[in-house]
Amino acid sequence: MSDASNSLSPPAPLARLRLSLGRLGLGGNILIALLLSIASAALLIALAGKNPLDGFLAILAGAFGDTHQIGVALNRTTPYLLSGIGVAICFRAGIINLGAEGQIALGGAGAAAAALLVQTAPPIVAIVVTLAGGAIAGAAWSGVATILHLGRRVHEVLATLLLNFVALLLVQQLLAGPLGQFGAGFLQSPLMPRTAWLPKLAGLDAHIGIGIAVVAALAASFLIWRTPFGFALRVAGSSRLATTYAGFSLQKLTWGAMLLAGALAGLAGGVEVIGIHRRLIEGFSLGFGFKAVTVALLGALEPMAIVPAALFIGFLETGSLAMQRQIGVPSALVTVIEGLTMVYVLVAMAGRRT
Amino acid sequence: MAALLEMRGIVRLFGDVRANDGIDLFVHSGEILGLLGENGSGKSTLMKLLYGMLPPDAGDIRFDGAQLKGHTPFDAISAGIAMIHQHFMLIEAMTVTENILLGWPGAGQILRQKHMAAHIRDMSQRFGLDLDPDAKISSLSLGRRQRVEILKAILRDAKLLILDEPTSNLAPSEVRELLDIMRRLKSEGKGIVFISHKLPEVLDVCDRVVVLRAGKLAGAAAVADVSRNDLAEMMVGRTVPMPQVEAGDQARGPQQLSVRGLKAAGLEAITFDVRAGEILGLAGVDGNGQLELAESLAGLRSIADGSVLICGQDATTTSVAERVRLGLAYLPADRSHTALVKSMTVLDNLMLRDTMRPPYGSAALLTPAAGRAEAKVLMAEYDVRAPGPESVVGRLSGGNQQKVVIARELARKPQVVVAHQATWGLDPGATRFVLDQMIALRREGAAILYISSELEEILSISDRIAVMAGGSFAGIVPNRNVDLRQIGLWMSGRAA
Repeated sequence: MSDASNSLSPPAPLARLRLSLGRLGLGGNILIALLLSIASAALLIALAGKNPLDGFLAILAGAFGDTHQIGVALNRTTPYLLSGIGVAICFRAGIINLGAEGQIALGGAGAAAAALLVQTAPPIVAIVVTLAGGAIAGAAWSGVATILHLGRRVHEVLATLLLNFVALLLVQQLLAGPLGQFGAGFLQSPLMPRTAWLPKLAGLDAHIGIGIAVVAALAASFLIWRTPFGFALRVAGSSRLATTYAGFSLQKLTWGAMLLAGALAGLAGGVEVIGIHRRLIEGFSLGFGFKAVTVALLGALEPMAIVPAALFIGFLETGSLAMQRQIGVPSALVTVIEGLTMVYVLVAMAGRRT
Repeated sequence: MAALLEMRGIVRLFGDVRANDGIDLFVHSGEILGLLGENGSGKSTLMKLLYGMLPPDAGDIRFDGAQLKGHTPFDAISAGIAMIHQHFMLIEAMTVTENILLGWPGAGQILRQKHMAAHIRDMSQRFGLDLDPDAKISSLSLGRRQRVEILKAILRDAKLLILDEPTSNLAPSEVRELLDIMRRLKSEGKGIVFISHKLPEVLDVCDRVVVLRAGKLAGAAAVADVSRNDLAEMMVGRTVPMPQVEAGDQARGPQQLSVRGLKAAGLEAITFDVRAGEILGLAGVDGNGQLELAESLAGLRSIADGSVLICGQDATTTSVAERVRLGLAYLPADRSHTALVKSMTVLDNLMLRDTMRPPYGSAALLTPAAGRAEAKVLMAEYDVRAPGPESVVGRLSGGNQQKVVIARELARKPQVVVAHQATWGLDPGATRFVLDQMIALRREGAAILYISSELEEILSISDRIAVMAGGSFAGIVPNRNVDLRQIGLWMSGRAA
């Protein structure tokens, strides 16, 4: 009856984006959500006794002020983007995977172990092997959750969420044992071999991880929109009955989505280890996995839209930390601003769902 | 006497569409009003406006002497309007009494189950409802569940009952009993709005009829003054005759669908064959194993025993996708969750089961450009009225949604078709389209199992007629000089 409203179909990519945004009930509302979060941030900075304008200027300078700051922000963006894509793939299929946190941590451990095993390999081989180690470890961890979910019918939210805590403790245990550096006084691994260090982008203080992440986003977008597997994922996210009727196997789809998400999160952990710290440190990825969920939802589960969403969070955080140093607002404020952004976005999404 | 319900000049817009365009409707106490119209003619919208689920854009509603404006369903219920939905709002694990007490402020703060049960027994006797207050809902037939809804309305002192397609799930005997109950309610002074597609029932029980077409009043008359053909013509603006297949008028080919001793949950040892170029009509009251049979054939349910042969190949344990490859098309009864993904586009739904086949794609890649071209061709061929392949299916009318399903399943040139309630909720025009498609397929040599609770459709297009009751076939006869009484007996055989 109301089809008259969408008279002519717009060009395909635009239509696709509009479709994916529209389905989540976003579109224009997300801008309102972001404006509201900026307003709340201003209020909070004012409450902390500082001038909001100074605060915002400090954020901008901290995020975009020089190539070093831009590089730091891009590095911060990378793990959010990588694991956010994985979360989006799962959410698209109707699988609520909240396990990125643990998968990133174990991915870091897997990468560190791999790097330490191939000390003598030439640089490119070392990097590939290291990142593969991270991806495999991450996928293995999401595989554990998948076995619990499919085999024992544990709800995927519980399985993925609770395994996060196990993963974090497992990494601690590894650092206290086989992966640890003896006598460091802190839970960390030995320095990674130089051959496994992730090279920097020319002219920036950023490593090439952001490039890997953007390529991953392109690949994921292609997967979701241009392959039968991606189509099946989207059907599964809309109707389980139709999925079976269409002849797709829900089990296989769940395995596919979970392993992909785990591998991407593990890759994020690996990139973090050989790109930033050059060693595995306890708690190196604290909170990354949950921010990945924020980023995925902010990007309306569309990989190409998750790129700006991740950049937004990455630059916001980098800028906010600079603001904290420069004008001396409490660091908790940054977390509060991020949290509020998330709440606004969720409200924007829920408000339109009828 | 002032009317119980008066609706005047009701207008409701959805975008540019005038779903209700200046409709007048009134109902007296002690009167049964038939509300007729095709799908999308505005019946449901009008009732939603009355029940307070939607606000009207213009018009005036007066009920029982007071104006209803900006009201909610809660206000409508307190005023004395009761809506009996097509899908019942009952909790299966609870008893009749518990369901009636549920959400009823009049039951008091302290629930007196025994007292209420006695009251229910009294009222149920008075209106001929024959309900056991202690029975669990899950043990009741659909007809009995409907009576629980009616009793709920009576106990809440409803003055006006709206029955939305109340007979679509009932056995013939249950329909007769329901019509009796309606007459009883009428004699007790209740007003009733009876929404139905089924003209004989409307003519049987109603005092007056109001017909809507495209949001406007197409006609209103006392039942005594109109014939069935008059009403049908008022509904669609033209007469829609049923097609007629001459049973056995064409040579039949080999057995394309063979079912041998099929057993599954809810099914008992079913054996039958359908030949190429033949339609086997499967009649029966809904809920007697039709869904189980259709899904077992389609591969959506596991088969406990027996075998299924599709085009001579054993398909008893093969996957859904493999059965599609063997040549099986399946039109499920559940259009909104199984046959279609409503949030996705027409193109997506057309390729739902064929993503790995040209022109939609291959095992690894989709080919959207070719798929879109194919979708445009199919939309024209099957007359799917939508702006384009990128339109979202959920926004289309029921008839157009079903056309998408039919286009997808038939474009594959299937050898075997299982169609389950393929005309459910469709108006006469769209129904005719579906039946014509089935006949065209038969001519092309497909073997068709046409499952429907509409006996008229079965009689119109089948070569042979089977009747399902209690999870098995009660009988199977050629569609020539059929003894309708025998069919009716088979249908009610084990129907509760």
